[in-house]
Amino acid sequence: MTAVLSTHGLVARYGDFQALYGVDVELHAGEAVALIGANGAGKSTFLRAVMGLLPVGRDMVRLDGEPVGGTSADRMVKRGVAIVPEGRRLFTGMSVEDNLKVAVDQAARLGAKGGWSIERLHRLFPILKEKAKTPVQSLSGGQQQMVAIGRALLCQPRVLLCDEISLGLAPKVIREIYAALPEIRGAGTAMILVEQDVGLAKEATDRLYCMLEGRVTLSGRSAEVTREAIGEAYFGAGHAVV
Amino acid sequence: MTMTAISDAATAIAAPAVTVRRQTNSGRIAMTLAIVALVAVAVMPWWASTGTIRMILELCCYIAVAQMWNLLAGYAGLVSVGQQAFMGAAGYALFVLAQTFGINPFLAVLLSLIVPAVLAVPLYFLLHRLDGPYFSIGTWVVAEVFRLVASNLPLVNSGAGMSLRVMSQYSAFERNVAMSLLCAFMLLVTLGGSYWLLRSRFGLALIAMRDNPVAAASQGVDVSRLRFLVYVAAAVGCGLAGAVYFMAQLRINPPSAFDPMWANVAIFIVMIGGIGSIEGVLIGSLIFFIADRWFGEYGATYFVVLGLMTLLVALYARTGIWGLLSRRFDAPWFPFRRFLVDPNR
Amino acid sequence: MQWFDALVQGILLGGMYAQYALGMALMFGVMRIVNISHGDLVILLSLIGISMATAWGLGPLAVLAILVPLGLFMGWLLQKAVLNKVVGSDPLPSLIATFGLSIALQNLMLQIWSANSRSLPGGGIESRSVDIGGIYIGLLPVIVLVVAIALTWGLDLMLKKTRFGRALRAAAADVEAAAMTGINPRAVYALATAVAVGILGFAAVFQSLRSTVAPADGAAQLIYAFEAVIIGGMGSVWGAFIGSMVLGISQGIGFRIDPGFGVLAGHLVFLIVLATRPQGLFGKA
Repeated sequence: MTAVLSTHGLVARYGDFQALYGVDVELHAGEAVALIGANGAGKSTFLRAVMGLLPVGRDMVRLDGEPVGGTSADRMVKRGVAIVPEGRRLFTGMSVEDNLKVAVDQAARLGAKGGWSIERLHRLFPILKEKAKTPVQSLSGGQQQMVAIGRALLCQPRVLLCDEISLGLAPKVIREIYAALPEIRGAGTAMILVEQDVGLAKEATDRLYCMLEGRVTLSGRSAEVTREAIGEAYFGAGHAVV
Repeated sequence: MTMTAISDAATAIAAPAVTVRRQTNSGRIAMTLAIVALVAVAVMPWWASTGTIRMILELCCYIAVAQMWNLLAGYAGLVSVGQQAFMGAAGYALFVLAQTFGINPFLAVLLSLIVPAVLAVPLYFLLHRLDGPYFSIGTWVVAEVFRLVASNLPLVNSGAGMSLRVMSQYSAFERNVAMSLLCAFMLLVTLGGSYWLLRSRFGLALIAMRDNPVAAASQGVDVSRLRFLVYVAAAVGCGLAGAVYFMAQLRINPPSAFDPMWANVAIFIVMIGGIGSIEGVLIGSLIFFIADRWFGEYGATYFVVLGLMTLLVALYARTGIWGLLSRRFDAPWFPFRRFLVDPNR
Repeated sequence: MQWFDALVQGILLGGMYAQYALGMALMFGVMRIVNISHGDLVILLSLIGISMATAWGLGPLAVLAILVPLGLFMGWLLQKAVLNKVVGSDPLPSLIATFGLSIALQNLMLQIWSANSRSLPGGGIESRSVDIGGIYIGLLPVIVLVVAIALTWGLDLMLKKTRFGRALRAAAADVEAAAMTGINPRAVYALATAVAVGILGFAAVFQSLRSTVAPADGAAQLIYAFEAVIIGGMGSVWGAFIGSMVLGISQGIGFRIDPGFGVLAGHLVFLIVLATRPQGLFGKA
């Protein structure tokens, strides 16, 4: 079965600094895959590279087997990939509703079809309906995260990239957000979850990858991977990382 | 490896005796040539006709103004299109001091510099809150306000302008000597001053500010104060160029005093030559001078080409000619980088 | 009555400046670019309009119908060919590029049209008056004001309610996040500049009706647009409108005090606003 999304020897740089040293990751339809690792491991860089926000070799990223590396972000959205970026990156000065409508507009313009609508999002995250006219910068962190997720979903993605959606949020809020993930998966969207919280990552996903200093140090089924194995892969003890 | 072994190894290695080198061969050659050129300018009356002196003086004014613009835009990140405000202000100050108050014209040139210096302070505080491109237009508005005020100010004879008739008390030769000396002085202050600035401890701060103001500030560079100082220095530099230019012209009126042409020429020179380097200013000035002599007669078309060239350089060759050259050859004319030299190698 | 005339004159000026300022505010708000050739584009459109009117005997309305689409096209082309290459965090390249373009345009116009001033034959519209509540006001100022209000209102509506407007605001807030949501920034910018210059089509007609136009006039128009935007406050379409009216009326009153004082009066008001309330009348501190 061809992976919906796959990377092959993915290499990425920020100017002179090399952040990824050949990363191979696979995502299959209906799957949720976690990407864990310490700060600076390259997880966010990986997502940005996949999304076309960093220049990468054409063949390094494939969608349904087709090389799409380096395609611009807006074209990746057209191809069915959406990202919930690190730091949320909402459109400040605009209301919740407008932030969501931007995504709806673009999906309509790009001819993307899918089951997500603003009403459905209101059912998933009721607070968004309540705060529809509020400027996004006045929302709490958790509410902003919901808007960010909603905005990405309204792009009708086949692949959803989530970059640290639990960052800076209270445990109760994190649970609320993660409780919504099964419905997103059920709608047919494959997900890559970048997470710092290993426990959350294991619970919410089928498989996981661990990264360290720009390389994958561990991959396996989330339910089967041991804490010791994760610990070693996370911190690098026992691995010769040049 | 035990602890004692490590500390023994550490003391066994002595620190190498390195020296810090600033000058390069290319710099030495350039410095020699520069001194020769400066002296040549100062003694122009003895080898050049009055016409040639005027021509060279005009070129030197372009160089001076361009270097001031270079300092502002290339290091302080302040893109001004209104430096002519200070040129005209100093020019008028010179005429008022020398003609109306009878002060010795050459002393008056120096005194006139007080005017741009004093004006620059409130202007900076007014303008610096404006965002990038709005700052630029703001400087233009200031120049326009100066022009309009001068057109209506009886002290400077309003729109009719002023003549520097006191100069007739000096012979043509004496005037030429004075112009040449002032010209050399102007080059020394603007170009030499910039070079001295870059080599001083301010220089490191300036270059840091040029490369990345945020990083520079995080390293303790007082970016806003430095910007302010550069703005005032550039105002005085342009004022000097203005005073020298109009003294040679012997006439000043509002449209010529605050002519936007100076901004156009300065921008062209620096962008073509290479922003952020003194070498670039010299290269750009030479190119402009030659182009002006050869093609100036074509009037408007010539300016269309200048404008298009500026546009193209901004799009495709932002570092200008010197930028392209210095990528291939490391031979600065005005070196200020520090090299660590190990005498044992 | 004299002061009332000054006010009416000021409203005419303000209405026109609004048509310059709207485009400038739009471009700066979205791309943080100021097009130094903005004023020269108005003059270029005016001169083209006048030439067409003279050559084919067209009335102002027909000229308007041609200039606005022409402006839309010119703006789109400007963005595609020049400005898209210099959008970014460094303001210097766009400043220098548009500055060079301004010089080139001014002198090109000088070459083609010579330095003579021209105006658009308006068939008498410049001198007609309309009776409003017992007072006779010039027809042209009223038309200019109405058009300015309509354009401002339309632009504001477009930004708030349409797909394109939302995409523009999103790109202005965070261009990378906008791309992540499927917006093509370059296409959006091109349309924004097209709208900005398209609006200048209106300004071009009005400017050449009310007064004469010469190739070197662009610089002054740029300054007025800029002052209007600063006075009104950035980030607000209605702010640009109000700023324009304040500037226009200041100039109108200044002209009435002394013919040589008009423009300077506007500059002084601008400097006072800059000194006391730099964020503009409607800007956020």
